[in-house]
Amino acid sequence: MQMRKVYNWQLGRNASYIYPQVRPQKQWAMVFDLNKCIACQTCSLACKTTWTSGKGQEYMFWNNVETKPYGGYPVGWDMGILSKLGPQEWHGEKYAGKTLFEAAEKDEKILQHIAADEDWAHPNIGEDEIAGSINKGDWLTLPHRVWMFYLPRTCAHCTYPACLAACPRKAIYKRPEDGIVLIDQSRCRGYRECVRACPYKKPMFNVETRISEKCIGCYPKVEQGLMTQCVTNCIGRIRLHGYLNTPEKAVKENPIDYLVHVRKLALPLYPQFGTEPNIYYIPPIHAPVSYLEQMFGPGVGTAVRTYKNIPNDQTLKGLLVLFGSMEKILSSFKVDDKLAYGFDDKGNEIVKVPVTEPMFVREFFDSKLKVFRQNTP
Amino acid sequence: MIRKIFLVLAIALAFVQGAYGQGKPFVEITSFHKDADVSKVGINDDVWKDVASYKQPLQRQFLLEPKPKDVGVKEVHVQSVNDGRFIAFRLTWKDDTKDDTLKITNFSDAAAIQFPVSSDPLPEYFMGEPKKPVHILYWKAWRTKDQRDGTQSVNTSYPNMTIDMYTFDYKVTGTGTDKTQAQKDMFIPGRAALNPIDSAHKEIIEEASAEGPGTLKTKPVENTVGDAQWQNGTWTLVMRRPMTVADKESVQFKAGERKPIAFAVWEGHHMEGGGRKAVSPAWAEVMVQ
Repeated sequence: MQMRKVYNWQLGRNASYIYPQVRPQKQWAMVFDLNKCIACQTCSLACKTTWTSGKGQEYMFWNNVETKPYGGYPVGWDMGILSKLGPQEWHGEKYAGKTLFEAAEKDEKILQHIAADEDWAHPNIGEDEIAGSINKGDWLTLPHRVWMFYLPRTCAHCTYPACLAACPRKAIYKRPEDGIVLIDQSRCRGYRECVRACPYKKPMFNVETRISEKCIGCYPKVEQGLMTQCVTNCIGRIRLHGYLNTPEKAVKENPIDYLVHVRKLALPLYPQFGTEPNIYYIPPIHAPVSYLEQMFGPGVGTAVRTYKNIPNDQTLKGLLVLFGSMEKILSSFKVDDKLAYGFDDKGNEIVKVPVTEPMFVREFFDSKLKVFRQNTP
Repeated sequence: MIRKIFLVLAIALAFVQGAYGQGKPFVEITSFHKDADVSKVGINDDVWKDVASYKQPLQRQFLLEPKPKDVGVKEVHVQSVNDGRFIAFRLTWKDDTKDDTLKITNFSDAAAIQFPVSSDPLPEYFMGEPKKPVHILYWKAWRTKDQRDGTQSVNTSYPNMTIDMYTFDYKVTGTGTDKTQAQKDMFIPGRAALNPIDSAHKEIIEEASAEGPGTLKTKPVENTVGDAQWQNGTWTLVMRRPMTVADKESVQFKAGERKPIAFAVWEGHHMEGGGRKAVSPAWAEVMVQ
């Protein structure tokens, strides 16, 4: 297969791809704070009721939340492709291993793990399973000796999508205006090359229509300047949606650029796959760094240190408070002593929230009503 | 890219033709004239008994990635009869596994016959080329099962699947609960987008045109009727169609004429689909009596 060389900033080097490098004018991107996710699945349900409530979509979760290390939807999607790719190395910030395109077998475009039929039938298998067993006398450390964390996932609307590269009909396209990757529902013929090729296993086959579907990045909302359903419905306020620039064009007032490029707090999911995914994760500080490095690349140690220091970091503290505080996509943000502000692309203020909520302490005895107060309503 | 592919293809074709004899196509098939109603000829009708069967070797699709490492079906036997009005083709091939059940990871057994819309100049045998379309008659085992047992759906694929309620599928009646099928179908994306794979069809044979790999397009005609049967590890497929049809972009047959023809077979059990297929290695020819 004749491959092109494209620049992948997540790998710090040129990497192989099927098509030449074409970046969109703006790139859809999402940041998740894994320290806050409680796997309530409100995002999954918000997505499901909005987009996949139809016949043939029963077990289709464009957004899902799985428990790491053992959970996964479809079952073993990550272990499947990681074991195929084998151990790979980073040299500092530069990826020295092979991407999935570079590791493609003869006559194939990309190295792939094919999920079995039953793998799609258990959307939340492994929920709450921990990484090991707790022994008598165990104590808490940071990171935890026995750990688990929740991983919410959507399509990564990759800069170099494997699904798009794999489609023999060019039925998959990446929108130049926002980088959202879509399957043309009138053009797809259900060959499932995208289902095979996507390492994140986000294109899914609809047996009712016999063609494939995937997360649409809530483009009808995005076109109106609104964040996606999974983001705006997140009750834990762990997510932020917006646009990401390439590192050399990073704007520090852009909240996504600030988290990903300026502070390097949010890291891409499995960058070694080589698709330049655009879902970024603030790693959970209680999980072992070695596991997290496999998942998010070599920046984990720095990100964890930065996160632990947030109580002393007014800008990051303010930005994290902005998560889940508005439905409109923020172009820029600002944090001062007391407040965090969000602005649209014309500089209009969209939102203003206190960085630290004021605390009120009520006396135990209510002298007016002559009763003791209870802390349950 | 496409240009390069065609260049490679042309070289490959030249090589193949050189290797197999002075520019002659691989296989010459005769469509025998019979005094029978070919519009109704079935899979096991007597008419096939004394009609010569031509062995068409198949090989893996080798021009475009992804290419299958190997293919499940290495040869197909072809017979043809006509009565001057209708022409029928019977394809027989060995396939130990019957793959006609729809599931997320199931691939359908399938076969296709391809003709050039115009033989002068002859399009590339591999799905045609820009402005030189081919006409493809495409059968899928899924569609045969649909026709025989009722259209397969998520309920037949996954009978134990559970769902609380589909959108607009109210269990009560009253104001606001009456929705048309079209309104309900808005929640079935392929159907709402009028994808031809999902749209209503009568026949098990899909007619399509193509102007190069990746350009297959369903035609809005259903002139080809078919029957298929899997028995003892063998698929038998009959396709029959009028020799001439009104559609100018369809293949037309005339007695005494030679028509280029090509074949493809997909073995569902090997997860063959799309470009992962077995193909005849060049245009063959059918001589219409």
